[in-house]
Amino acid sequence: MATPSKILLRLAWRNLWRNRRRTLVMLAAIMLGVWSMIFLNALTRGMVEQMLIDGIRAMPGEVQIHHPDYRDDPSVVNSMPAPDGALLEALARPPVTGWTGRVKVPAMISSERENRGVILLGIDPTSEAALGFRPQDIVDGRYLEGVDDTGLIIGRKLVERLETRLGKRVVVMSQDPENNVADRGFRIVGVYQATLPAQEEMFIYAGRSTVQAMLGIGTGISELAVSASNFREPAQLLQHLQAAADPALEVLDWKEIDSYLGLMVDMMDGFILVFVILIYVVLGFGLANTLMMAVFERIREIGLMQALGMTPASILVQILLESTMLLLVGLIAGTALGVVSLLPLRDGIDLSAVAQGMEMMGSGAVLYPSLTAQDLLIANLVVLVLGILTSLFPAWRGSRYRPVEAIARG
Amino acid sequence: MQRWLLLLALTVASGWPGPALVEEPIDPRDIIRRAMEHWRGQTSVSEMTMIIQGDGWTRSMSMKSWSEGTELTLVRVTAPKKDAGTGTLLNGDNMWSFAPRINRVIKIPSSMMNQSWMGSDFSNKDISRSTDIIDLYDHRLEKVELIDGHEVYTIVSIPHEDAAIVWGQEIVRVRDDFLLLQQQFWDQDGVLVKQLETLDIAEMGGRSVARIMRMQEVETPDEWTELRLDQVEFDVDLPENTFTLANLRRR
Repeated sequence: MATPSKILLRLAWRNLWRNRRRTLVMLAAIMLGVWSMIFLNALTRGMVEQMLIDGIRAMPGEVQIHHPDYRDDPSVVNSMPAPDGALLEALARPPVTGWTGRVKVPAMISSERENRGVILLGIDPTSEAALGFRPQDIVDGRYLEGVDDTGLIIGRKLVERLETRLGKRVVVMSQDPENNVADRGFRIVGVYQATLPAQEEMFIYAGRSTVQAMLGIGTGISELAVSASNFREPAQLLQHLQAAADPALEVLDWKEIDSYLGLMVDMMDGFILVFVILIYVVLGFGLANTLMMAVFERIREIGLMQALGMTPASILVQILLESTMLLLVGLIAGTALGVVSLLPLRDGIDLSAVAQGMEMMGSGAVLYPSLTAQDLLIANLVVLVLGILTSLFPAWRGSRYRPVEAIARG
Repeated sequence: MQRWLLLLALTVASGWPGPALVEEPIDPRDIIRRAMEHWRGQTSVSEMTMIIQGDGWTRSMSMKSWSEGTELTLVRVTAPKKDAGTGTLLNGDNMWSFAPRINRVIKIPSSMMNQSWMGSDFSNKDISRSTDIIDLYDHRLEKVELIDGHEVYTIVSIPHEDAAIVWGQEIVRVRDDFLLLQQQFWDQDGVLVKQLETLDIAEMGGRSVARIMRMQEVETPDEWTELRLDQVEFDVDLPENTFTLANLRRR
């Protein structure tokens, strides 16, 4: 079989280039199809990935532990004790890679001229930085230096709203568990920038001990944020913590805390699939049509080959080989085009012109395309396999002609 | 600080004998501490009118107020009719409000402390802050003047780093009989933001009182809130239940 298949290969390759224009048009179609699949997949995946990372960082942590009533009423009354005993032990073991306890209560912030409702976060800067609020978010001033730091970090947008600036004092007002006013003056030591302008107006950060003293809650915290290495699948971490935590506490993963985010990610994955199918259908019809034409145009020639002793099976293989070659060339070119077109976009696509719309979707103004080997492989395989399947019909038709009739038809 | 001064404004008296101020150096904290001690146990009943001048509109409210010392105050609106019965009770740092329309007493939560008190230029916080005023600031006696036979102290108060006060400094001019002449609120850049000023001093209830006081933001000279004292009585025997939530509810 070695010799005939070599002949078949050569025949198929030459046949392809006998009608150069037809082949080139087909190549362009395959190339564009593969390119658009790779390119748009990378964009969508990049968006979903970024949304997920931002979303989890905003939460923060993949699993959070709260007082059972805290999520319904995030007030200081619903705080919980700092982790101890079995829970503290569990937090030191894998899969936990990091955790932090935070105080998170609604508050009012006032400058000399304005006041706004915000959410006051008392954080431990050493453990917080890995999970949520990071030193690199600071655009002016400094990050917090310890749990008893008396400085305050507020968002860039809030600075504008309050008509204040770095280095000035503001007053933060909240209430203690007995509903009495708990307030304190803070000096603004840092200004941060967030992906979403709404966050900059919403959250203010201070040292945890300072906030605990102000609210009179001892070492109590509002939430415990825990992270592990695989943020897409938090189930294992969830079980690990549920087993160790006080059963009275509420242990939830990010999919439950922010069900919108979980839903969004699932939906986007579905979108990608629909997209792949859609492109294939368009591509498949084009491919089938071209090959069909190629067969009909060559009925006489096929008849002649059969008359010369070529078996129907060889004709089938030859036509299939033609389409496979066409597909392979198209795929290589399309994949190359996809990778090349994504290279200059590695550092993100600036979408600030539509930032408001992106914000509504919970996404930032810069889009980082994410190209995975898996997506590349799937796009190529899908086109290749389905392309060959589509060309089966014309190939089968070609192999079924009777030699005499076929020669006479021409 | 504001509440204490507001109280002074509402019920100021001239009963305090001027000490030998000239001989000894004066500690401004002493002036304030003495004033507070002076008011301990002092009762008053007053009637006043609050005039709020907005941008192109004016609103006027009549109120009756009872006070005991610096901690307890009850204010009730008597006119106009649609606001009548609305009341505010202050006990220390706590503040309750009664709205007759919904027949409910609410304790003012921290989130509402920065909101305006009855639509005026005073915030709930302005009205409610009372204790610790001595400890929240560093006070400095800027100068002592003699005006109309009274010594007038100008005190510059700079809030402590962790004090819940947004101002860079407050400058208070107060007479030796504790009558507040002026209180200025400066921001941290040294710009005057708003001031409370006594526009008229009169003899009422046997004492010198600030008859008209005006709170005004510097940026909006056409908008202000005035408190006019119509009538005041001192050393009144107040029923024991005056400063209770039940009494706040009564119309």
